[in-house]
Parts: sequence; C-alpha cells; structure tokens
Amino acid sequence: MVSVTERNKPRNNAGARTALRTLLRQRQLMLMSVPMLLYVLLFNYAPLWGWITAFMDYKPSRALFDNPWVGFANFEWLFHQPEFYLAIRNTMAMSAINLVFGTASSIVLALFLNEIRFTPFKRTVQTVTYLPHFLSWVIVVGLAQSMFATDGVVNHALMALHVIQKPAFWLGEGRYFWWLVGVINVWKEVGWNSIIYLAAIASIDPTLYEAASIDGAGRFRKMISVTLPGVRATFFVLLIMNIGHLMEAGFEIQYLMGQNLLVDWSQTIDIYVLKYGITQGRYARATAAGIFKSVVSIVLLYGANRIAKRMDETTLM
Amino acid sequence: MHKKRMAWMLCLVMLLAAFAPLAASAEAVDPLVVTVFIGDPFDQPTSDNKIYKLIEEELGITFEFEFLAGDLDETLGIKIAGEDYADLICGSNSAEKLIDAGAYIDLMEYIDPESTPNLWAHYEPYFKRVQMPDGGFYVMANYGRIYNDPIVNYINGPAFWLQKKVLEWDGYPTITTLDQYFDLIARYAEAHPTTDEGLPTSGFEILCDGWRNFCLLNPVQHLIGHPNDGGVFVHWDDNYRVDVFHNKDYSKTYYQKLNEVFNAGLIEQDTFVQNFDQYIAKLSSGRVLGMFDQYWNFQNATDALVAAQKYEDTYIGLPLVYDESITEHYLDQTIININRGFGISVNCKNPERLVQMFETFLSDRWQTIFHWGIEGEDYYVDENGRYLRTDEQKANADDPIWVNANKAKQLFYNAPKKEGTMDNGNSWDPGLQPEMYFDKMSEYDKNFLTQYGMNTPAEFANPAPPNQPYYAAWQIDLSAYPDILDIGTKLVDIQARDLPQIIMSKPEEFEQKWEAFSATHQAAGQAEYEEFMQGIILEMNERLR
Repeated sequence: MVSVTERNKPRNNAGARTALRTLLRQRQLMLMSVPMLLYVLLFNYAPLWGWITAFMDYKPSRALFDNPWVGFANFEWLFHQPEFYLAIRNTMAMSAINLVFGTASSIVLALFLNEIRFTPFKRTVQTVTYLPHFLSWVIVVGLAQSMFATDGVVNHALMALHVIQKPAFWLGEGRYFWWLVGVINVWKEVGWNSIIYLAAIASIDPTLYEAASIDGAGRFRKMISVTLPGVRATFFVLLIMNIGHLMEAGFEIQYLMGQNLLVDWSQTIDIYVLKYGITQGRYARATAAGIFKSVVSIVLLYGANRIAKRMDETTLM
Repeated sequence: MHKKRMAWMLCLVMLLAAFAPLAASAEAVDPLVVTVFIGDPFDQPTSDNKIYKLIEEELGITFEFEFLAGDLDETLGIKIAGEDYADLICGSNSAEKLIDAGAYIDLMEYIDPESTPNLWAHYEPYFKRVQMPDGGFYVMANYGRIYNDPIVNYINGPAFWLQKKVLEWDGYPTITTLDQYFDLIARYAEAHPTTDEGLPTSGFEILCDGWRNFCLLNPVQHLIGHPNDGGVFVHWDDNYRVDVFHNKDYSKTYYQKLNEVFNAGLIEQDTFVQNFDQYIAKLSSGRVLGMFDQYWNFQNATDALVAAQKYEDTYIGLPLVYDESITEHYLDQTIININRGFGISVNCKNPERLVQMFETFLSDRWQTIFHWGIEGEDYYVDENGRYLRTDEQKANADDPIWVNANKAKQLFYNAPKKEGTMDNGNSWDPGLQPEMYFDKMSEYDKNFLTQYGMNTPAEFANPAPPNQPYYAAWQIDLSAYPDILDIGTKLVDIQARDLPQIIMSKPEEFEQKWEAFSATHQAAGQAEYEEFMQGIILEMNERLR
C-alpha cells in the first residue's frame, strides 16, 4: 500500500492528471470501497460530534446548545480524582498482562500444535482450546469464582501439592486480581488467538524446512530458526494493534469479578466512567474520559508503529 | 404432485395470514400495545396468562415487557442517553434519573377528581410528598398507600435474622442484644460444625454485592435504636443533626464485634465476594445461621427452604440493640414509596388511555383480581365474607410457574395498589390475611411461636411508633445536587471497600485500619454531606409537618 501511494504522489499539474487517471482506472475498486467508507463515516466519525458535550454542563433533558459551556472543567475534575489514576493504572496493567500472557501462550500453543503429526489429536486439541472463546463472560466468571473460591478446586489442588499451606483468598485480595484476570483470559482466548499463528505457520514455505533438514537441523532447531521467524510479521502486526488497545483491558471480567472491596485493583477506566459518569447521569464526564482514552490510544498506536518502523519491521501504516 | 400440494398449502397459509388481522379488529375495544420497561428482574409471563388475557378482553391493552438485566443505573443511563423510553417505565430505585432527564409526563395534568376519582383519592393525601420540587407528579408510588388499618404479621424490613433451629436448640431464649446473638451463634456453631446434610455451618453472612451492600452498611443505626434511614443517622433530639455513621465510635463497636466474630471463624471470607445469587443459594442450603438483611431481600431463600420443608432452617427476625438500655425501633410505619412505580414516558402516544387504565385498575374489582385473583378459581369467599384459599389454591399461589400463567405480577408489582384492609374487612394482600397467614404456617412455626407466647413473628419487635415528618432519609433525592451526590457515591465506595478489610483484619491490626478508614472517610467530604442533609431534612420537616 505504502509504495503505491508513494509512486502516485502528485507533484505538479502533470502529476495531478496522472492521479486523476489512476483514479479513473481504479473506478471499480473505488466504487467497491464506498460502502466501507460510508460505514466508517457514519458510525465512527459522525458520533464524534457528540464530543462537544465533554465541554458542556450537559443534561439530556436540555436541547444540545442550551447546555452551558464549561471549558475543560470535566477534564479537570477527572484529573483531580485519585481513583481515575488508579483506574488508568489498573487498565494498563491488566492490558499489559493480557498482552504478554495472551501472546506468549498462543504462540507456544501454535508451535506445539504444529509439531503434532497425528491429525485427529491435533484437531481435537485445537477445538477444545478454542471453544471457551464462545462462552459468555458471565459463565466463565461463574466457573472461575467457584474454582478460585476458598474451598474451590484450585485451593484444594495447591494444598494437595503442598504449594500453599492454607487456602488463599484468591477472589478477595487485590494483589491477586490482575493475575487472575490474566490467567482467566488465557484460558478463554488461547485457542482462538493461536488460530492466526497456526495460519501464519501454514503459509511458511515448506522448502525452508527441507533446506533446514538438509543443513542438519533437528526438530527443535527448525522450530526456533524457521517457524518462529515465519510468524514474526504476524506477531508484530498483532502487537501494534494490541498496543493501540492498551487502554481497553476488557470490561466484563473486571465488572463481574471486581467486588466492592477490590475496587482499587479492579476498577478499569471503563468501569470508572460507568460509575461516576453514566450511572450518575453525568454524560459529559463520561465523554471527557472517552476522549482521553481515544487520544492516549492513538498516541500509543502511532508510537508503537514508529518504533516498529525504525526496527524495520512490518508495520500497519 | 407433492410439490403442487405444497404450493396449495402455502397459498392457504398466506390467505389465512392476510385475513387474520381482519378477524382481530372485529373486537369492540381498540387494541393497544403498551411497551413497558421495569427496572427489576422478572420472568416473562406466559403468552396465555389469565389476567393479561382478561385485561386484553376488557380494555384491549396488551403489554410488551422489558425487564432489567444487569445494573439498573447503567441501563437507565443508556436509555436516557438515547431517549429510548418505553410507554410505561418503572425506574425502580433510580427513577430520579428519569425524572431529571425529563422522561416522564407530569401526571398532575391528567389526574382530577372527576375523570380519575380513584387515582385522585389514592394520591391526593400524599401530593405534598409525591410532587417533585417543580410541582410535577411523575411516578405513581407502587407501595405504601394504606387503606383502613395496616396489617403487620411479620418483619418485612431490616432485622438480625437467626435460624429457628438455633433458638430451638438453646431452649427458646430471648435474644435482644448483639452480644447475646453472636454468643448463641458461636455456641451453636461449635456444637454443630456441619448441618445434618454434612455442609459446613456458616455463622454469619454479610452480603456486599452492589447496591445490596446495605447488609454490610446499615445495621449500626438499628443497634442504637433508630429505624431505617438508609446510610445516615438523624439525631431527632438534636435539631436533626445528621451522621454518616460508618466511622463514628458507635459504629466501631459493631465492626469490632464483627472482626472478633470473623477471627473466631464464624464468618466465611467468601461472604465478602459472593454475589446475590450465591448468597441466596447459600441461605437456601440451610447452612447459614444468621445475617443482617431486609426480609424482602432474601425472601426467595425462605421460599426455597419452605418448599423443601426445612422450616427449622428458616429465619426469625430479631430487633437487636447494643444493650438493654436502648429501645429498639425496627418496625416503622409504612411510608408512601415516593418515585417508585410506573410513570408514563414522554414517548407514549396516548397517555390519557394509560391513565384511564390505571384508574380502572384501582377499582375494587380490579384490585381484588390483581391481589387475590378470580373468585372461585384462585380464592373463595366463606359464609362470613372472608376471602380464603383452598390448599390447592394456596399451593398454586406459591408456585412461580403457576403465577407466571395466572397472575399479572410483572405489571401489578409496580402499579398503584391498595394495601391495608378492604372496606369489607379482608386484607388487600392475600399474604397478610390473618387466617391465611396462620393457616399457612407450618406446625413447626406455630409451635415455635407458641414457645415464645406469640401469635406472629412481628411480635418480636415493638409496634411502629409514629414517623417523623421527613422520614425516611433514604427517600431523599439528591440528583439535583450533583456535588453532594458525588460525595455520597465516594463515601459508600470507601465504606464498601474498607469495612470488609477491617472485618477481616487481624485483631491487633484493627485499631490502625479503623483509624485509616475513618480518616479517609472524613476526608471525602463527610462533614459537607452531613451538613447538607441536615438542611434538607429540616426543610422537609417544615414543609410536611
């Protein structure tokens, strides 16, 4: 994509004419992209109009412009709340844990699955691991709550293995919360996330493996030197995309598992916005927090993309 | 051949479908579909529900219900943001948001003595209370409008609850103080580490889930002899000074006691992280000896225990206080449930018809249908004119599946209703009809009460004295004062976050944790909140006296 636009960059009148000709030549493609363009404009750009409420003392019962302007008061309020900083910390921390655990576990699973030669077994494992992806969070959290309860399976197992002496209070202690979320996320999503890596592995040229074999590489060597570099591009693309989503650590799991006493660890930006914004009928506050999130996400995305570019990796833009 | 027959069948079906609406419109009354949003979780009624069918036949009105799934405030917040209002909305505990957003029409314009005599008579004595500061009347209060004499058979509100078997085991002692209560629980739990079915005994439960955390936050005001004002204690004898009482010294006594009880192993730590369903399941298993709660909140568990005939595992409400010198004040006189119930939304196309519908529903005939059912089917009238139910009718009324097909619970629960006593002396609420209440009581329960020389569980508590004019503070709507609301939210957040930690702390850490909590609580604007509430209460007393 990048190279195409580079080549057609209009430099003068003649260039503009060339651009027009290109446009004309690609008219079918252009036409095909119109619905997508409309979709994005309608659903992603048009709602941005509502951002102006972040600068108002907004009440839904008033007509939009009857609301008094308040400048940055809503943002100021947010940044004076210690809870908001905790929410940012929690969101970033859980996102980071999810990113690292999620990526590592799905690559490892994909690598191992790829090594299995007995297809029925491979298929079964693959299906079993990606099925939890389709379960609703309510069910997953319900399962997790009974497994991690004081007299749940996890405590029993760990005690039987003498890892811990007395049952741990997994669900009630803040310091466990992020890791619990990480573990449950891996359980739910590992199979699903590994599919894309399996696809990437499948597209590696088999001759590379043959060449490696001729060079005397064993199975493990091939995994390290052929398979892993083969998924490198996929890995970076996904990494950049996920960094753009760092401000979103998921919502349901923290919402369902974050009991009142865990609030300092479990409250993410989304939950904070729900509680102090939407729940209290303060939509302007919620919008302000939303704007903040979007801006940070855009910065993160561009930042990650730049770094990847500098490292000469595959990039998004 | 086969194909041809199929084609003919299809034609026939199409024809029938085309004529179906014609057949329906032949009815006398104008059909009207009313969309309803209810901010409580209910089951959908069955499609052939008896009462809704009767409403459709007589008034031509059918209902499309949407019930709460998830958090109420969030659901309403989203509905308000999109102005996505059903014709009839019950905002439940957060109706103020809807009022504030202008979601309701002002019913004052539709209610008058001539065209709506029933509604007028129902609400006129309470206009000062149900009208908002702007003079509008938006939500028709669902409960608390008592006709003739109120009937009180049991404590429906807050109390410290204790399984009957515990009292039975100890020879039916009189328990009035907190110390006696936990002492008995400790002794019973020691003697019975597991239930008969082998489940571990849980001494005391504290529900902390979402808005139901009143089980954690509310007890202290009762222990010092005050009725339920919600999250504040109002000094009636000191110019209505207000305490957000959770960090006061008289609260420390309670939470220190809980800390002691926790460290004695009588409170399971999972109680602080369980959700409402898990809590009800736990109570229903019969292994929980006691808890502080409001009866209506855990009634499902009682129903389950009764259905399993585990009467000894059901609970009796005890109005506990700190010490004998304090007079308990748990039962309060019914107050009109301001802003809880149905309002008609601004999106409704024919509000007049809905007002007239509620007017009709407030007639004695329809009130009887909603409360009692159809005479001869759901209840009978004996030779003395008393409304009674046969065993089968009673069993039906307790069966949720039957109820979904034969009662209009979804609509009636939040509709304006008559409570207290009918003009003919029967109770409006069948559950309170004295004969039925006693009849329904199991032999176990009858014997239990006899042991205490009582006729009803309500006799454990003092009769309700008259209310203060402002009462109750939990009804006060702060949505017009967002800054105060912010402080309130923050205070509750701090309480709900820190109090469980304090209860679970080691005894030697208690003091330090309590001090830290108290300071955080104080710093969150507690004094400002208290002062503001006092102002509001003084103003209300002036206006409503």
